[in-house]
Amino acid sequence: MNAVLDLARGAVARRARKPRTSPFPYALLAPIVVFECLFVIYPIVRGILLSFHETNFGVTKFVGLAQYRQMLHDPIFWSSVQTTFEFTFAMIAVWLSLGLAVALLMNWSFAGRGFVRAILAIPWAVPDIPVVLTFTIMLDPNFGILNRFAAFIPGVHHQIQWLSAPNLAFIAIIIMVGWKGFPFFSLILLSSLQSIPDELYEAAKVDGAGPVRRFRSITLPALYPTLGLLGVLAFIFSFQQFSLIYLSTGGGPGTDTSTLAVTIYNQAFEFFNYNYASAVAVVGLLLAAAGTVLYIVLQRRVARARRLEGVNAAL
Amino acid sequence: MAAEVTPVAARPLVRPRRSRRRKASAFVRYAVIVVVCVVALFPVYWMVLTTFQPEQDSITYPPDLLPHGIQFSTLTSLFDGNPIAAWLLHSLTVSAVTVVVTLIFAIPGAYLLSRLRWRGVGPFGFLLLFTQLMPGAMVVVPELQFFRELGWTNNLLAIGVLYAAFNVPLGCWILKSSFDTVPSEVVDAALVDGCGRMRVLYRVLLPLSKPGVVAVAIVAFFGSWNDYLFAAAFLTNQSLYTAGLGISTFISDQTIKLDQLEAAGVVFSLLPVLLYLTVQRHVVRGLTAGAIK
Repeated sequence: MNAVLDLARGAVARRARKPRTSPFPYALLAPIVVFECLFVIYPIVRGILLSFHETNFGVTKFVGLAQYRQMLHDPIFWSSVQTTFEFTFAMIAVWLSLGLAVALLMNWSFAGRGFVRAILAIPWAVPDIPVVLTFTIMLDPNFGILNRFAAFIPGVHHQIQWLSAPNLAFIAIIIMVGWKGFPFFSLILLSSLQSIPDELYEAAKVDGAGPVRRFRSITLPALYPTLGLLGVLAFIFSFQQFSLIYLSTGGGPGTDTSTLAVTIYNQAFEFFNYNYASAVAVVGLLLAAAGTVLYIVLQRRVARARRLEGVNAAL
Repeated sequence: MAAEVTPVAARPLVRPRRSRRRKASAFVRYAVIVVVCVVALFPVYWMVLTTFQPEQDSITYPPDLLPHGIQFSTLTSLFDGNPIAAWLLHSLTVSAVTVVVTLIFAIPGAYLLSRLRWRGVGPFGFLLLFTQLMPGAMVVVPELQFFRELGWTNNLLAIGVLYAAFNVPLGCWILKSSFDTVPSEVVDAALVDGCGRMRVLYRVLLPLSKPGVVAVAIVAFFGSWNDYLFAAAFLTNQSLYTAGLGISTFISDQTIKLDQLEAAGVVFSLLPVLLYLTVQRHVVRGLTAGAIK
C-alpha cells in the first residue's frame, strides 16, 4: 500500500515539477527530422542551387540569376503562370461548390445513406491513370459518349474535339480533375455540417425561415472557416496536379494546358534543361509555400475562434 | 413540432396535405440522390463497360449506353504476353514499402505532435506541413539527381522510401488528431501506473487509434500506388515499371485494343477501390477524428 502511494506521489510530483525537457522527445524527433531532411529538404536546397547554374556539355558553372532572367523573358513561363492560376481558381470553385452540394446531399437522412456515402467516394479511390484513360475514351471526338450527350446542348453541331481545342481542353481537364477530387472536400464539409447544432435549424424553422434562408443564414456562415481552409487546400492540390493533365493533353494543345508543373516536367525531361526547370520550380515552390503559410495562418485563426466559441469541430 | 390531436372519428377522410407534401419531397430526394450517384459513377461504369464489350462496340458511333455482347476473354487474356502481372507486383512492392516506412515515422511523429511536451513543436509542425504541401514537380529534378548519385534509380525499394518521405507529414497529422481523441485520463492513468512514455504509445494510444492508423496506411498506399511523376522519372528500365507507369505507356500505343487497355485499367483500379471500400468507415473516422455521425 505504501509502495503504491509512493509510486503515485512520485509520479504526480514528477509531473507537477516544472518539466526540464527530457531527452525523450528529441530522441523520437531525431530520426524523423533526419529522414525528412535527407529526402526532402536537402534535395530542395540542391534544386535551388541548381537554378543558379548552367550546364553545357556536362560542364556546370555558376551563372547567378541568368536562368531567372531568361525565365522572366520566356513567354511560355508567363503563360504557364497564367494557366496555373486559371486552373487553380477554377478548381477551387468547382471543388468547393461540388463538394458542398454533395456534402449537403450526404447529410440528408435516407435509407442507404452509408452505402451512398461509400460509393460517392469511389472517384477519389480510382487511380489517376485509369481516370485519364477512361475520360480520353469518353471524350474521343469519333466515338466518345460525352459527345453524344453534348449533342443535346443547343449550338453544338459537330463532333467536339475536346482534348485538342484550346478552351475545351481546359474545360475537359477541369471536369476530370473536379470529378476525381470532389469526394475529399465532400467528406470534410460533411463532418463540418454535422457539427452545426440542430437547435439552430429548429429555431429558424419556428421563426418561419425557408430552406434557402436557413442555408444562407445558418449553414453558410458556419462553414466559412472550413471553406476557407479547404480553399487553401484546393489551391495547393491544384499546384500538385500533374499526371491528370500531362497524360491527357501533354500540356497542349501547344502550351494551353501547361501548368507550372507540366512546364517544369517538359523542360526537364523533354528538353533536358535541368537548370532552367529548377528555376521555374523555385517559383512554383515559392507560390506553394505562400499557400502553406496562408493555410497555417487561417487554421490558427479558425482554431482560436473555435476555442472562443466553444464549438467542437473536426478541423 | 406539436402534433395536432383530433379524435379518430373527427379526422377527415382525405389524406392531410402535409403527409402528401412530405411524400413528394421524399421522392424528390431519392430521385436527386439516384441522379447524382449515376452521374458521379458514370465514368466508372464506362470503364467497366469498355472492358467487357468487344472493341468494335466501343469505337462505333454513336456509342450505346448499354452493352451488346459481353466477353470475359479480355480479362483472362490480359496477362498473356504482357508484363502487366509483373508491373502490378512492382506496384504492390513499392506500396508495401511506403506504408511500412510511413507508419514507422508517422507514429512517433504523431506522438510528438499530440502528447509530448517539448520546445520546437511549432517549427516541427511547419516543417511537416511544408513537406506535405510541396508539389512533386518542384522537387523531382533534384530528387532525381540525388538518387542518381546514390545509384538508386531503377530501385523499387528506394522509390517506396521516397514516397514515404512525402507521406509521413500527412500521416503525422492524421494520427495526431486520432491520438488527440484518446481521453487524457487514460494516458495519465497509464503514466501514473509507471508506464514509460514509449510504452504508453504502444500499449495505450495506438490500440485506441486504429482508425487513424488505417487512415494513414490507406493514404500512404494511395500516394504510392497512384504516382506517375516520380515513377516516370526514376524508372527507366521497362521491366521494373510500376503498373501505373506501364499502363500509361499503352495509352499512346495504337496497337493495343481499347478493351484490353481498359481491362488493364480496371485491374489496376481494383485493389485501391476494394481496399478503400472495405476500410472506408475507418478512414473517414480517422480523417475527421470521429466527427461524422
